[in-house]
Amino acid sequence: MSTPCRRRLMRDFKRLQGESNSGISGAPCPDNIMVWNAVIFGPADTPFEDGTFKLVLTFDESYPNKPPTVKFASRMFHPNVYANGELCLDILQNRWSPTYDVAAILTSIQSLLHDPNPTSPAHVEAANLYRENRKEYTRRVRETVEESWE
Amino acid sequence: MSGYNSDGFMDEDYDDDAFEYSEEEEEFGHNAIIGNSAGASQLNNESQTETQPGVSADGPFYENDLLDDTGDFEPVLGSIKKKKAWEVDYMIYDPEELRAKQVNIAARMEPLLGISKEATRLLLRHYFWKEENLIEDYLSDSERTLAKAGLTAYPPPPELKSGDENFSCAICYTDGADESYLALTCGHRFCSDCYRTYVTGKVLEGDSWRIHCPAPKCKVLLGITASRLLLAQDNTVMERYEENLTRSFVNDLDTFAWCPAPNCEYAIECHVPRTAWATTIPVVECKCGNSFCFGCKFDNHLPAPCYMVSRWLQKCKDDSETSNWIKVNTKECVKCKSTIEKNGGCNHMTCRDCHYEFCWICMGPWSEHGQQFYNCNRFNEDSSKEARESISKTRQSLERYIHYFTRYNNHEQSAKLARKLLATTEKNMEQMQRELALSWIEVQFLRDAVDVLSVCRSTLKWTYVLAYYMVADNQKIIFEDNQSDLEMATEQLNGLVEDPIGQDTVDDIKRKIMDKSTYVKTRWETLLRDITTGLQENRWQFETL
Repeated sequence: MSTPCRRRLMRDFKRLQGESNSGISGAPCPDNIMVWNAVIFGPADTPFEDGTFKLVLTFDESYPNKPPTVKFASRMFHPNVYANGELCLDILQNRWSPTYDVAAILTSIQSLLHDPNPTSPAHVEAANLYRENRKEYTRRVRETVEESWE
Repeated sequence: MSGYNSDGFMDEDYDDDAFEYSEEEEEFGHNAIIGNSAGASQLNNESQTETQPGVSADGPFYENDLLDDTGDFEPVLGSIKKKKAWEVDYMIYDPEELRAKQVNIAARMEPLLGISKEATRLLLRHYFWKEENLIEDYLSDSERTLAKAGLTAYPPPPELKSGDENFSCAICYTDGADESYLALTCGHRFCSDCYRTYVTGKVLEGDSWRIHCPAPKCKVLLGITASRLLLAQDNTVMERYEENLTRSFVNDLDTFAWCPAPNCEYAIECHVPRTAWATTIPVVECKCGNSFCFGCKFDNHLPAPCYMVSRWLQKCKDDSETSNWIKVNTKECVKCKSTIEKNGGCNHMTCRDCHYEFCWICMGPWSEHGQQFYNCNRFNEDSSKEARESISKTRQSLERYIHYFTRYNNHEQSAKLARKLLATTEKNMEQMQRELALSWIEVQFLRDAVDVLSVCRSTLKWTYVLAYYMVADNQKIIFEDNQSDLEMATEQLNGLVEDPIGQDTVDDIKRKIMDKSTYVKTRWETLLRDITTGLQENRWQFETL
């Protein structure tokens, strides 16, 4: 069945495949185009470097008028990622624009890894370490990077 | 929108002297100026045919709906009436009048700003209708003010275009010359289908004027004309859009509030500032008949101020008093901690759960009491003294609360009964008409008496809340005297009304009830006036809340 949402998701998929070497990748589940698995590679020159962090994106028919639900499947240590993997990102909530696509979402999340916002923390411990003890913060992040390879 | 008088109603400081007049000299003020003057005079005509002159029409019970002024035969001037000390100025708007009100404000601002009508309206909304702030910002930097709000002074009228081969919608990626599209002043183009879905979604979420261009981080406002253009085919969404516009107008202004009655679509404008709510109770009566407090949106709670009411209701809701009761009236079994209430019998207690035997007086094991049955001589030991003292303290505070709560609750229940009484009264009135060959107008006094009753019940109810928080001093005694005067008279009137056809002749009963109603009304006015001035003068000390 073809709906505006599904047609749009197919376009998103094509566009994402076109973006090689950008450190993001993703694909719909073989049996359900409304659920996507994605991987974000930790950006270079950050504690997340070399990490392969897995995410699950769940869409519903209101996409792209409403944002999808995005959740990390890998364990994360980041000021703006909740312990259960959900993230606090403005474009996935009130700043959503229907022009964003999957590539835009994944790129935004990648830059969030690079540039945390400790003033509105979803993970208080990560936020405190990021501000006060960057060395320990890096160590904890590196742990999750190593976990992400398994 | 007619009837918005320029008699000082809009003055921010209007209420400072509104309460200063005494019992002898009452000023003429404006009250409940219902927006539509034609409707108001119509109401007046009705009231004159329905209300027996001189009996109740100039009483406080029709104060807010323009139905009075029939006691004397001066020409009725729609909205002018005597304002009582405790009454506040307000206006009632129906949805049409609300729309007109917005248009009027915008029309007044338009020549000042020198921008298009739509831009004026959106800018006003952006500034939450705070005209002074808007003018100040606009005069200092008009372009920045407009840009910040996502507006252009004279935007070209939005239109759906098509025929551009290079067009591609950034939302659904459909492209080609056949697609019709819309672009705002920012130039971001989206196909009309996507735009429509986008706007519909926003409108159904409750948005209206805040909808902006769908492009990321673009702040350009879609505006009302463009929304109408997009939603032209969908009447339900368009209606919802208009509703949202009005809703946001009322919600954005502190001086406006919706009537909280279910399905009521009127809004009230009242200029009693928030800071005055501790001493002034901004009670308003909507056209739908619902009388409520503009401050806390709760039912009419004259004469207790909002903060006290919320405290009291919280206290009644809390189970803290329940646990106080348990503390005072029960004891715990020393052994198994079961809660025990002693409801009779001697002091030799046997716990039903663990069969532990103890003395109710000293809580010690019964076995130690030996042969001195029923005469606990361990009562004076220090530990038991302490325990009893702490119990009696709690008991005192609980008793005090219960004293006021019983009376508060009694009036609440009686007010409910009064509503039932209204039905009985109507039956009585019919009966009197039939049996005694009285005209309809001649039996109205009964109905008026019931109206008086229910208003007094409500007031009395809240005076107990006031009394509960009032610190005992001489002023409180005066307050309680006033209160009990009204209470006694109310109960007497209640008795008269409940069984009007007794042994007396009809004329006697009628005279008695009418006399009593008038007396009760006078007491009610005296009490309210006294409390209002008292609150303004800080005459009473209240427990720190």
